[in-house]
Amino acid sequence: MDSPDRADFLAGLKPGGKYEGVVGLYRHNVSTDRIGLFDKEIIDALAAAGVKWIAHNGAGYDQIDVLYCKEKDIWVSNTPGAVDDATATTGFYLMISALRCFSRAERTLRAGGWKSTHKPGEAHDLTGRTLAVLGLGGIGLRLAELAHAFPMRIVYHNRRPNPDAPAWCEYFGADRLDEMLAQADVLSVHVPLKDSTVGMVDETMIRKLKRGAVIVNTARGKVIDEPAMIRALEDGHLGAVGLDVFPDEPQVNPRLLDFPNATLLPHMGTETCDSQKKMEIRALSNLRDFLTKGKGFDIIPEFK
Amino acid sequence: MPPRIVLCDPIVYEDEGKAVLEGVAEVLQLDPSVDRDEFIRALRPGGRLEGVVGLYERNQSTGRIGHFDRDLISRLPRSVKWIAHVGVGYDKVDVAACKEHGIGVSNAPGALDETTATTALFLLISALRGFSAAEQSLRAGNWKNPHSAANAHDLTGRTLAILGLGGIGLRLAELVHAFPMRVLYHNRRKVANAPEWCEYYDKEHLDDMLAQSDVLSVHVPFTEETRNIVDERMIRKLKKGAVIINTARGQVVDEEAIMQALKDGHLSAVGLDVFHNEPNIDPRWYRFPNAVLLPHVGGSTAEAVRTMELCALQNLRDFVLTGKGRDLVAELR
Repeated sequence: MDSPDRADFLAGLKPGGKYEGVVGLYRHNVSTDRIGLFDKEIIDALAAAGVKWIAHNGAGYDQIDVLYCKEKDIWVSNTPGAVDDATATTGFYLMISALRCFSRAERTLRAGGWKSTHKPGEAHDLTGRTLAVLGLGGIGLRLAELAHAFPMRIVYHNRRPNPDAPAWCEYFGADRLDEMLAQADVLSVHVPLKDSTVGMVDETMIRKLKRGAVIVNTARGKVIDEPAMIRALEDGHLGAVGLDVFPDEPQVNPRLLDFPNATLLPHMGTETCDSQKKMEIRALSNLRDFLTKGKGFDIIPEFK
Repeated sequence: MPPRIVLCDPIVYEDEGKAVLEGVAEVLQLDPSVDRDEFIRALRPGGRLEGVVGLYERNQSTGRIGHFDRDLISRLPRSVKWIAHVGVGYDKVDVAACKEHGIGVSNAPGALDETTATTALFLLISALRGFSAAEQSLRAGNWKNPHSAANAHDLTGRTLAILGLGGIGLRLAELVHAFPMRVLYHNRRKVANAPEWCEYYDKEHLDDMLAQSDVLSVHVPFTEETRNIVDERMIRKLKKGAVIINTARGQVVDEEAIMQALKDGHLSAVGLDVFHNEPNIDPRWYRFPNAVLLPHVGGSTAEAVRTMELCALQNLRDFVLTGKGRDLVAELR
């Protein structure tokens, strides 16, 4: 696909266009810069051209209107599993940085202040502290494994208990969510972004955390109510945050840069050559299986 | 009259700390403004601190008496028989001079295993993933330019070589084993209680270990034997693109050689918590985009400070009651 913009892409899908006859697509979020999100307009054009499969590269597929794809009989696969290690490692890094105040320490050093802003009393070891995982899927579970090496105590909330979770992952259902939040030193967010999860980590949830708690987000920026999080940083209810994702990337709310104890990364969750290779192979394998067997392996849950 | 102890630095965990010496010794606090000469005068007969038998001191002392070097130690009155160092690394205390003057020195072994190993892990992840430059880029308003995933790596399946498998090195090994990384180590002697997945390489096979390592993490104490142990030769034996992590002491690595290796790409990144001449570190470090730098905060957590303080005070307590602290440093045994 070499289209520099949406108009060219749509034109290419029409009869006689350069993409005529296409039955399957490999897609990565970077294409959004040129052709925009996979909304109804694009999906209509794909359906008209005869596309039957979209093999998305990535675990999160919020940039595709998948329910509309379903209506138009276009199947969608993603790349679960392939992202787990790199993303969990990112969450792990953000958690360590937040608890140890390392981001601020490095910035102060680089600004010529050595360790003048570092107060040992504000920095903590991880062993014995409690990590709450919101959404124990592949990534959440991988993070739990890494944190368990200290060990941290692992608690989690999921719509249903995860049958693959080891015994040391303590489940808290919806009725006990508040109980879980009250015990968490760190809340790490691992839910996909969909209509039901927008702003899920809201004022109420944030205030149920103990004072001084840390929030880590490697999922999607919109899952957290950003103004509520900022208020909690301002009044010290949250001790620190570690964020890899933001509601309106690549824009970052400048207010976040003011907080000394914020560790901020520009959506680096899967940015390693090892993981990118794994993800590409996974997506292309789904496309290959669609072509050879009629169906890719990683069909997204909305289609099951 | 109870024996007298001087706190050359304040205790952070005061209540718990003072309780250790309650009823056992009289605890005196050194004024932070007192300089070395005044300190020595105060310790002498007639001085405010006369007859003191033990001292409590920290490496990064806020006071003006300076480090416990040969000059200071040789001027201490004969009454002083114990120095309880609040820290693990005691390279700034001249233990040879202490030995000559019959002064015992204790440190806090094991107190920083957790804290320092976590720091090394943080530096390792940051260096392999390019996170430091990425955050700087974001904060400068450039989002993730000019990061390239091609230069960033997962930890899983990569090889970590530990130089010095003591408490901290072993703890780091446990943490990376969770990924897992493959763990190799070099020590003067094989470590008896190391897990079987920690592969030992002796001096004869050191080059072999280096050639297989994606990351070398340094965990040796600083002594004259280990000065510049990570030198040009060792660095060049590492595979191209390797990463060096140092949470030990700046003096055990050749900074010039490391910088050169970063410049020519032999090293792909470094993660450093310690430097020559802290806090006035070589400003050239700031210009390496692939250097992760921390200002010697590797052992700085609330929990670690408390553990080290209580350990030092316990050693002073044991010294007062039995003549000897439990954690007498190796050189004085």
